[in-house]
Amino acid sequence: MSENKVKKQNQNFGVLWQRYGTIGIFLLLLVVLTIAKPSSVFNSSSIPQILKQSSVNILLALGEFFAILIAGIDLSVGAVAGLVGIFSAQMMVAGIPVPVAVVAGVLFGTIAGFINGMLVNKTDLHPFIITLGTQSIYQGLMLVISKSQNIYGFPTSFTATMSASVGFIPVTVIIALIVAVILWFFTTKCKAGRNIYALGGNKDAAWYSGVNVKLHTLVVFMISGTCSGIAGIVLLGRVGAAAPTAGTGYETYAIAASIIGGTSFMGGKGKIPGVVVGGLIIGLINYGMTALTIPSSYQKIVMGALIIISVAIDHLVATKK
Amino acid sequence: MEALVRMENVTKEFPGVKALDNISFDIMPGEVHILLGENGAGKSTLMKILSGVYQPTSGKIYLKGKEYDRLTPKDSYDNGISIIYQELSVINELSILENLFVGKLPSKKVMGMSLVDYKYMNDKAKEVLEKVGIKRSPNTMVEDISISEKQQCEIAKALVSNADVIIMDEPTTSLTTSETEHLFSIIRQLKKEGKGIVYISHKMDEIKQIGDRVTVLKDGTYVGTRNVEDVSVDDMIKMMVGREIKGTYHNTESDDLSKEPVIFEVKNISRKDRKVNNVSFAVHKGEILGFAGLVGSGRSELMNAIFGAEPKSSGEVYIYGKKAEIKSPYDAIKNGLAMVTENRRETGFLDNFSIKQNISIVPFLKTSGAKGLTGLVDNKAENEYAAKEKADMNIKCRDVEQNITELSGGNQQKVILGKWMAAESKVVIFDEPTKGIDIGSKSEIYVLMRKLASEGKGVVMVSSELPELLSVCDRICVFRDGEIRMTYDISEATEEKIVKTSTGE
Ligand SMILES: Nc1ncnc2c1ncn2[C@@H]1O[C@H](COP(=O)(O)OP(=O)(O)OP(=O)(O)O)[C@@H](O)[C@H]1O
Ligand SMILES: [Mg+2]
Repeated sequence: MSENKVKKQNQNFGVLWQRYGTIGIFLLLLVVLTIAKPSSVFNSSSIPQILKQSSVNILLALGEFFAILIAGIDLSVGAVAGLVGIFSAQMMVAGIPVPVAVVAGVLFGTIAGFINGMLVNKTDLHPFIITLGTQSIYQGLMLVISKSQNIYGFPTSFTATMSASVGFIPVTVIIALIVAVILWFFTTKCKAGRNIYALGGNKDAAWYSGVNVKLHTLVVFMISGTCSGIAGIVLLGRVGAAAPTAGTGYETYAIAASIIGGTSFMGGKGKIPGVVVGGLIIGLINYGMTALTIPSSYQKIVMGALIIISVAIDHLVATKK
Repeated sequence: MEALVRMENVTKEFPGVKALDNISFDIMPGEVHILLGENGAGKSTLMKILSGVYQPTSGKIYLKGKEYDRLTPKDSYDNGISIIYQELSVINELSILENLFVGKLPSKKVMGMSLVDYKYMNDKAKEVLEKVGIKRSPNTMVEDISISEKQQCEIAKALVSNADVIIMDEPTTSLTTSETEHLFSIIRQLKKEGKGIVYISHKMDEIKQIGDRVTVLKDGTYVGTRNVEDVSVDDMIKMMVGREIKGTYHNTESDDLSKEPVIFEVKNISRKDRKVNNVSFAVHKGEILGFAGLVGSGRSELMNAIFGAEPKSSGEVYIYGKKAEIKSPYDAIKNGLAMVTENRRETGFLDNFSIKQNISIVPFLKTSGAKGLTGLVDNKAENEYAAKEKADMNIKCRDVEQNITELSGGNQQKVILGKWMAAESKVVIFDEPTKGIDIGSKSEIYVLMRKLASEGKGVVMVSSELPELLSVCDRICVFRDGEIRMTYDISEATEEKIVKTSTGE
């Protein structure tokens, strides 16, 4: 009898974890931070700061979410964001109007994603291999295009807009939220979104049910590329300069945010709101560690531990049924 | 004699359903104990409690006299219980050898270190593979073997551990008649060795052939236990369904089907891999066309090529006289062609989707544009599809929002049938449609197929069960080595003729 009870509690924990795990982690971290240093949370700039730190993560995580949803991965998101930054920065410095440079940059991200998707489809290799390769290629291109120099001196209209706020909400966060809402609509209301979930759950069964596997795979990587492109622009605006190594290592944050946000590494499971909270968690960790004056090298250690812990709990919950 | 396993007053509740209500069951040495019941009766659940997958809500289990409240998979394994699950659980990415020993690698001590005993593994693998009749190297990857070989591989897996109790949950759904015969000879041998066997099947003739005792469950409750020789098949059906099932399902509306208009026609289909060569056939209005043949003769390969799931090198498909360009399943669906695939777990259902979503995926794709990219999810339509198919197919579930993996095997199959019905297709190819379906529901599916045919839809049925083909189809094509060798009208078809043509003797 008592063992049955333990079992039931296990099951309940599983349900709770799947439903509230992500938001729970967020609140837990917030409480920890509040106890450790109350002044860092209770001040007028804390929320805008956390949000600002999160916007790039949220955007990259939204793209990464789709790649993981089809049981794949996109290791090139950070590199694409960086490359788009360099590309748009050079256009702006060359005097091309800001809106044109921004749109061209985002499209450039879409194309980078298209290339990833085509390579995955044509070679039938795991996206891990393909995007590991393109990550390196895109990073190399950044160095070539920028001649390994920082690019700065854009029109103030651009940097001013990107660092503005509406009320206490930064513009960059509004951009991230708009993208999230569009993608949330796509995943829940569009047939194509439904098909992508099917593809992630069981590729063969999806194919036999009429889902065009290659086409939807291509769309997934184009979405990922586009999100990375937007993230690249946001990053550019926030930093005010394009560094030849910008975005390096950001894929780790993106993957962490998606996974902590409840996306299953096995594919086919996950939701956009979870990913947004996942991105906020990453932002909160970064903010909190800075507030507690913990060196950034430790942030990496914490991030890594979080990825492992949340995937491990997910795995335990899935196998304990 | 003491029972090898005794389960007493076992109850199992899932959220919202009582899958088992106070069931007692035992297994004696040297007997084949049949577990019989409709889809969702609780057979697999009862056996999963024995194998340690599920924990009972209440009740006791006695293994070799020792009392347990619940079993872990390890308890079960240590007490010599092994199970062949209903859904094939072999892993495609591993070799046959690795599959046989997955999770229980034998070890040996070498200089104090525990190492994997490869020699033992290889010898043992050779022995059991020979026993079950797989003529392949143990190093063959499982993804390269046929579905019937996979099922034999499952059987071999249960034999490697020298278990005392072997549970077989529908082990013959993908086996041919001769492979089934072979399994029975293995079972008889195991009986002689004093092992206890639990056998679950929806094929009544098998039960008569191999069973000693039969226990019948209905909706999770106990109906009774009998000696197999004391009861007739009809008695057993009555115990399990509560009514009699008899008869055939042939066309009765037309005197000469060959004079009816052609609904579906296939001309000169070939495949590059030579598994199908220059095959042509036509289905007339009101007709159900059957395909007999040995597993591996190329019937599924033919249907996959017609459906666009696998490439064809030449050939044309006509639906209602109109040529259909089919290069993918999407094209097939758009042209009104549906196919219920043979392997439910691999190509049938989406395990991350609810029942409702599994049903709506096909009609949604049919009404989408740009190869499935455009169109919005219509929640109202989705609920209607699900409600209609739940009722039409008689799917036993608490709620259509439930995940499909929570259903019993037979009910999963009904969901798959439902998704193709929801698409209102003009032509439906059924590849082994009654796999794992109970006898009452089987007859419902035959009635459904006949209804489709009389509504003017093209119906094609591939089956390895000859009695089923003979009682449903109006014409039967016999397939061998990628070609139709002979087509029999039902009036002249017999089991004997079909077997002869399919083996080429
Ligand atoms: N994991 C689960 N969660 C919820 N309900 C379940 C679960 N597994 C089984 N059930 C329910 O328990 C009942 C018995 O299912 P079970 O799989 O034992 O049937 P079965 O007799 O093996 O049927 P079949 O002949 O179709 O294989 C069904 O109503 C099923 O929906
Ligand atoms: Mg079952």
